[in-house]
Amino acid sequence: MSSPPSPLAPPQPAHPANTNLAHLNPLPKSVFTLPQTAQLEALYTIIRDKETSRGDFLFYSDRIIRLLVEEGLNHLPVVKRTVETPTGAIYEGVGFEGKICGVSILRAGEAMEAGLREVCRSVRIGKILIQRDEETALPKLFYSKFPQDIASRYVLLLDPMLATGGSAMKAVEVLIEHGVPEERIIFINLIASPEGLTTFCAKYPQLKVITGWIDQGLNEKAYIIPGLGDFGERRYCT
Amino acid sequence: MPDERMRHSLSEGAPIVDAAPQYLSLQPKKNTVLVSHGRPPWYGEDGKRTCDAYVVAVSGGSGSGKTHVARQIIQSLGSIPTVIILSQDSFYKHHNEEELALAHANMLDFDHPDAIDMPMFAACLADLKACKQSNIPVYSFSEHQRLEEKKYLYGATIIITEGIMALHDPALRALYDLKVFVQCDSDLMLARRLQRDVKERGRSVDGILDQYLRFVKPSYDNFVRPTSSHADIIVPGSNNAVAIELISAHIRRQLQERANQFRQRLALPHRYLNGRSGASTLECRLEDLDLKVLPQTPQLQGIYTILRSKTTSRQDFVFFVDRLSTILVEHALQYLPYAPKTVITPVGVESHGQKSDAKNMCGVSILRSGGALERGFRRVINDVPVGSLLVQSDAKTGEPLLLHVMLPQCVRLRHLAEESWVFLLDAQIGTAAAAFMAIRVLLDHGVREDRIVFVTFLVARGGGVSVLRRVFPRVTIVCGAVDDQMREGWLEGVQGEGNPEGIGRKVWVMQPGMGQIGDRYYL
Repeated sequence: MSSPPSPLAPPQPAHPANTNLAHLNPLPKSVFTLPQTAQLEALYTIIRDKETSRGDFLFYSDRIIRLLVEEGLNHLPVVKRTVETPTGAIYEGVGFEGKICGVSILRAGEAMEAGLREVCRSVRIGKILIQRDEETALPKLFYSKFPQDIASRYVLLLDPMLATGGSAMKAVEVLIEHGVPEERIIFINLIASPEGLTTFCAKYPQLKVITGWIDQGLNEKAYIIPGLGDFGERRYCT
Repeated sequence: MPDERMRHSLSEGAPIVDAAPQYLSLQPKKNTVLVSHGRPPWYGEDGKRTCDAYVVAVSGGSGSGKTHVARQIIQSLGSIPTVIILSQDSFYKHHNEEELALAHANMLDFDHPDAIDMPMFAACLADLKACKQSNIPVYSFSEHQRLEEKKYLYGATIIITEGIMALHDPALRALYDLKVFVQCDSDLMLARRLQRDVKERGRSVDGILDQYLRFVKPSYDNFVRPTSSHADIIVPGSNNAVAIELISAHIRRQLQERANQFRQRLALPHRYLNGRSGASTLECRLEDLDLKVLPQTPQLQGIYTILRSKTTSRQDFVFFVDRLSTILVEHALQYLPYAPKTVITPVGVESHGQKSDAKNMCGVSILRSGGALERGFRRVINDVPVGSLLVQSDAKTGEPLLLHVMLPQCVRLRHLAEESWVFLLDAQIGTAAAAFMAIRVLLDHGVREDRIVFVTFLVARGGGVSVLRRVFPRVTIVCGAVDDQMREGWLEGVQGEGNPEGIGRKVWVMQPGMGQIGDRYYL
């Protein structure tokens, strides 16, 4: 009945060679990452695996997205708030301050909306469609639809993969055109390439980037290595 | 056979089972844990079991009225917490092809001691007596065979073993606290046997008589009747009301003696809240409690502010409880083991990552308020089995009572339980009485202490958590916030069991706390 006493496994760290700091050291000041634990690494291992079923891909990518959104929300301001508890005690707490909205970059960014709404109930969500212009090979805005008062909101910009950073930078440009100050945008992604992050943060140093994992780099086709393939494709189509 | 436990109100005479036709006169079922009013703590303040279950053996010839005697004992005991009638019939051996053919021709000797799997019988009884779970075999009389399925039993304070060979095996005899032999005339036994086997077991009269002369009678003379010399009491097979009354009185007295002996040592953490002994309020430092508290981020503080406010609407309360429980369970998963794993990504390159190395993950929520964490739990762990325990405090004594146990398969089966990781879910740890009982239940099942992860919203550091921590140091406790103290309060308008007038019930409330989390989440 009695098994040998073994110390409880403490939170284990991720494999050192895989962590953010191994691929991008130092991190730009505006970049925030999730704690690089074995648990998080295990989540990424599932969604990276090409053998993973679509159901599992959905479930585990949603878990990461929730963690990212929770982390992103921590960069929003709070104010002191005092409440009375049901037992009649006074509790000095904080209240959320400022309105937010989500903006997803179509099509893969839409996949993050469900996770966002699980954390922020009925949050407003704008959309942007950006594609590569075949003539100029530059990202071009094809479509955008935002809440009218977007200029007065904090914006959570959603795109799962930051590869070259081209479409994300285009999206930020559009948001700034709509009157959203750079420092009120929080860009949330699951996987970033060191190259993309460096370019993006150099252009928008005030904008906070929340990323779950920084990968090794890009291959010749500008795919993230090791990455997880095409996020939208895996989430919606396969 | 998923629901092993049935609630019978034994104190009101004939027990009534839900959904059974009323005209049936129902008897306490065999191999079922019968519950009258919940099981009080069976362990001391050190977390160890204070006493074994009380075991009564009832033996006698086939048709002598053993089962009747067992049932009468239960009925005359009246209000006793939990009892099992364990039948020897469950322990007939598995038959091979040859034996099976003999059995169907009524040529197999079922009345020989060798027909019964005595070692298994003794092992199961020893587990039950030691307050562990047991998964007993199921034997089918119509198929003459032990079935694949097993029947899960747990949590009896009294076990009544009945069977013709109940007193035969020395290993079994060593486990009994009281041995009863039912003495009956052979003609009466045959008459009863005929009636029963035709009606209940679908046999033919010729077959029964043939079997009786060939096996039953010689067996009784050779094996059964001689064991009466081991009995403490010999009871007549009919008109035995006086004998049963004597036995019940004896059992009651024995149980009372045990209770008196152990009551002072019972684990009721709230007794220590006022600082009478060691574990008092703020003296215990947070570090000593070894709690895994969530990082106090602005969002987390904001969530707690909403949940603590008494003006928060139920809709908001539910939403933020679900969000908080998700965060808590994500945090708790860090403490599990992980192992390296390499995969190929769709880009065609290898990725050296990790995978979870925890076997048999499951949850057990302590009802009702533990249910508030289930949503988050299921959001984070895919397809996870979630069991439940219902622990209520007795309105008069404040003692926790275990009313219902429904555990996942990976906890019920001991060999799986020893490898399982179990998340215990409850909204808060106040007096810690329910947490204490729940952990004890898991340990009884063979779950390792360092594989229990207790996930909760709030812990009162001045409450019972210090007792809990001292007794179960290897349980991981993950919480979102720590409150300073507990104070005695009255719960208004609680109507129901033990408090029909709905007058206030004395409870310990946390300060500042979140109020009654179960009520706010469900009502």
